[in-house]
Amino acid sequence: MSVIGSLTTNLAATQGMPPPRIARTRRATFFSFVGLGTLAGVWLMYVYLSEHGMRWSEWALLAAFVPLYYQLNTGFWTALIGVWLMNRPRPDPLDLWRSLTPEEHEQPVTAGTAIVMPIYNEDVTRVFEGLRSIYLSLQETGHAANYDFFILSDSDQTSQWIEEESAWLELCRQLDAFGRIFYRKRRKPINRKSGNVSDFCRRWGRRYRYMVVLDADSLMSGGLLNAMVRIMEKNPGVGILQTFPKQIGSETLLGRVMQFAQALYGPAFMAGLDYWQCGEANFWGHNAIIRLDPFIKNCALPPLPGKEPFGGHILSHDFVEAALMRKAGYAVRLLNTPRGSYEEGPPTLVDMLKRDRRWCQGNMQHFWLLFAKGWHPMSRINFLHGILSYASSLLWLVFLLLATFLAATPLPVESPQSALAARLLLGLTVMLIFLPKATILLDELITGRVFKSPVMRALTFVSGLLDTVVFTLMAPVLMVFHSRFVIYTILGKGVRWVTQRRKLDSGVDWVEVLLNFWPVSLLGVAWSVVAWFVSPGFLLWISPILVCLLAAIPVAVFVSGTRTGLRFKLFLTPEEASPPQVLGTMRENLDEVKGRIQLQPELERFHGLMQVFLDPYINGLHVSLLRRRRNIDVSRAYLNEIERRLIQEGPQSLTPQEIKAMIHDTDTVTNLHYRLWSAAEHELAPFWITAIRQYNLGSGGPFAHTLARKEPAVSDAFKAAS
Amino acid sequence: MEAVNIQFAPATGTEEEWNEAYARLADYFRSYQLHNRIRRTQLILETLRRAAEAHAKNPARTPTEHSIEQARLMLRDWLREIYRDLNLNDAQIEAAGRLGFYLSGGPARWPHFFLDDENLPADMSEAMRAAVRTSGPGMQVSKMTPREIDLGIVSDVAEDTFDTLGRHPMLRYSILILMVGGVLGYLYLLLR
Repeated sequence: MSVIGSLTTNLAATQGMPPPRIARTRRATFFSFVGLGTLAGVWLMYVYLSEHGMRWSEWALLAAFVPLYYQLNTGFWTALIGVWLMNRPRPDPLDLWRSLTPEEHEQPVTAGTAIVMPIYNEDVTRVFEGLRSIYLSLQETGHAANYDFFILSDSDQTSQWIEEESAWLELCRQLDAFGRIFYRKRRKPINRKSGNVSDFCRRWGRRYRYMVVLDADSLMSGGLLNAMVRIMEKNPGVGILQTFPKQIGSETLLGRVMQFAQALYGPAFMAGLDYWQCGEANFWGHNAIIRLDPFIKNCALPPLPGKEPFGGHILSHDFVEAALMRKAGYAVRLLNTPRGSYEEGPPTLVDMLKRDRRWCQGNMQHFWLLFAKGWHPMSRINFLHGILSYASSLLWLVFLLLATFLAATPLPVESPQSALAARLLLGLTVMLIFLPKATILLDELITGRVFKSPVMRALTFVSGLLDTVVFTLMAPVLMVFHSRFVIYTILGKGVRWVTQRRKLDSGVDWVEVLLNFWPVSLLGVAWSVVAWFVSPGFLLWISPILVCLLAAIPVAVFVSGTRTGLRFKLFLTPEEASPPQVLGTMRENLDEVKGRIQLQPELERFHGLMQVFLDPYINGLHVSLLRRRRNIDVSRAYLNEIERRLIQEGPQSLTPQEIKAMIHDTDTVTNLHYRLWSAAEHELAPFWITAIRQYNLGSGGPFAHTLARKEPAVSDAFKAAS
Repeated sequence: MEAVNIQFAPATGTEEEWNEAYARLADYFRSYQLHNRIRRTQLILETLRRAAEAHAKNPARTPTEHSIEQARLMLRDWLREIYRDLNLNDAQIEAAGRLGFYLSGGPARWPHFFLDDENLPADMSEAMRAAVRTSGPGMQVSKMTPREIDLGIVSDVAEDTFDTLGRHPMLRYSILILMVGGVLGYLYLLLR
């Protein structure tokens, strides 16, 4: 294995890479502001603490305070610079949109581009309806000829896999997209998502110049996809172009508040990030376009030394791929995209925390990479910020615990200088927390950037105030959980790769909430008792935190509920007010599928399995897609025994491993089709008796169970044939 | 296929068994999305006729088993005729052929010719053959080899430490207990 060079490579091409002089000036400006702000805060804290000399605990408090204040300043200045950029009369000279002339926006898109969607046990309907909308949106632009779509499945739930196969076939049939939309299932999901994408690159990467990576919940408009390819063509120095995916489709309060915040505050933060990250931005793993040749040559991920959770396979691969791309001499740029790039978010607080647990471990792994040789300094800062985004929760918790301790061992504040420092620090901190939000809200009130109508601007202002309440209530709870995640990671407790839930199917699960949040409330009770004993004044000071901890359970239920304020037009986003076509198409089709009569729950649970064995066409499809192997992994006797149990006892009697062994063998899948149909009723498990009786009463077509029913597009070949 | 004889009098098997076979075949052919009832009935009766002959030779198997077996054989013969020049083995013909019939719109466009190997409309055969020819894009294999990242001396030291701690969970938890104990002890000293 060769070792990556110890220096960042010279630029491959300059187009798309901000001139070093401008980048240096911008970073010097930004980090000067951040440094000064941090220094001012730390100095005020030191003055306040050091009145009677510094104790160990006070030094510890100050040490925890420094990174926290740095992070606060980073967010503050990013947002303020973003607001300034959005309002300055002269457009940003580095804006990549400006690299295209109006004529170039209309030119044909000739570069071969693969749109890849890695999936893992995702909602099949959402995945394929999303793809349909993107495909149709691209077709409408008239420049779809050079795009191919790849669904890269790592799903390990058998029923899900079969449903994916049949949805793929039906989608291709309906859109007449055979040879344009491809489905690939990996037998062994090595290295999870990044391994999935690498596998694509190894097999088909050379066929395409660009790759657009989507998540299972991504949605992108054809217009934006074309623009991204054109920008990449015009700027050969750009290796990765990351769009700003806006959250859509939320149905819970948490989801709607998050998507509102993204829509309102996101563009300012995005502009601010682009200002100081320049050509060393981050890749967020999806809704981005990648130049494939340098990606294949330079961005394969080696395993980290040691075992999980710190070592092993790199979980948060996107940051590392961005750093490797930059190291190879290509820019990684952000593209401020007000419309056209979308994703979905977790519906409940528990789902959000599950996602954060995974991201936390991934970001903490980057600790190794902080000190590696040859990174561009900005890549190190990106890694550091990623680590801090979770480690800062633990630092905040430590800070509050130390503050509690210091309050229990008070020393009199006698000097006016110390009292003034405390008041100034409080004012400065409040400003750092709330000023960006206030500025953005004011900007919206004045400019109507998000909504033109004055009523909507006013409602947006009110929603902005209300979202502060929601985020304030959640912040201490997130602090406790993120601290726990960081400690778990340090103690070596890794995370499993689990499917993300993106929709709230059956209301809030109270048991899940209680089981997850009772320790937080208990911590709140214990801390309140301690604070009371320390002093009533301290209890009052720390009460905003403690109230949130005590109310963790009702807050989790409240934010995960479906009373979202939509009735009062609160937290409304432009995508909700007037959905873009790509979103409208998808939603219409999802509603059609959702409105259908469902089969019995047991049949729905094993629907894919039922179909592959009963339906002659889906059976044929699955066998056709399976790679025929000379040797099977398990003995024929073992497979015969599983076949017998499947027929006589039903699919619920088999373990996932047994089902997997069976479903991978072409002979078994073919034989079972006939064995099930030819078995007498007394030989069949009740599941199969019901399945056979009800199968033909189900959906209109075997493949359309998970997809909207649309008239198939008729290909030229069929037109000619008929 | 010969004209269907409505009279069906199998030499072996009970009426109940043949009725069960009939019902199963009806469900089976319906799963092919053949919505033309007349054609479906023709197919059922033709299959039952063949099954009755097979059952007379081997009554150990049930009429339902014979019926599905006969349906499979009829399908194989029919598909073999359509795909004879495509160099596919029996298993591939069976799987891909069924799919080809569906993809070509066969159940709706040519229900009368399903399993009829004596009357094969040219457009149906061509459409079915075209449907199985579509496959994925040819692979163009690239090397995407990960290169080791030089993590530097800090990582070496950290790795050794984590490695040691990872191999000795008792040591790991002892250090943790010592740290927590130290903090608590310090707190005690300050608060007493």
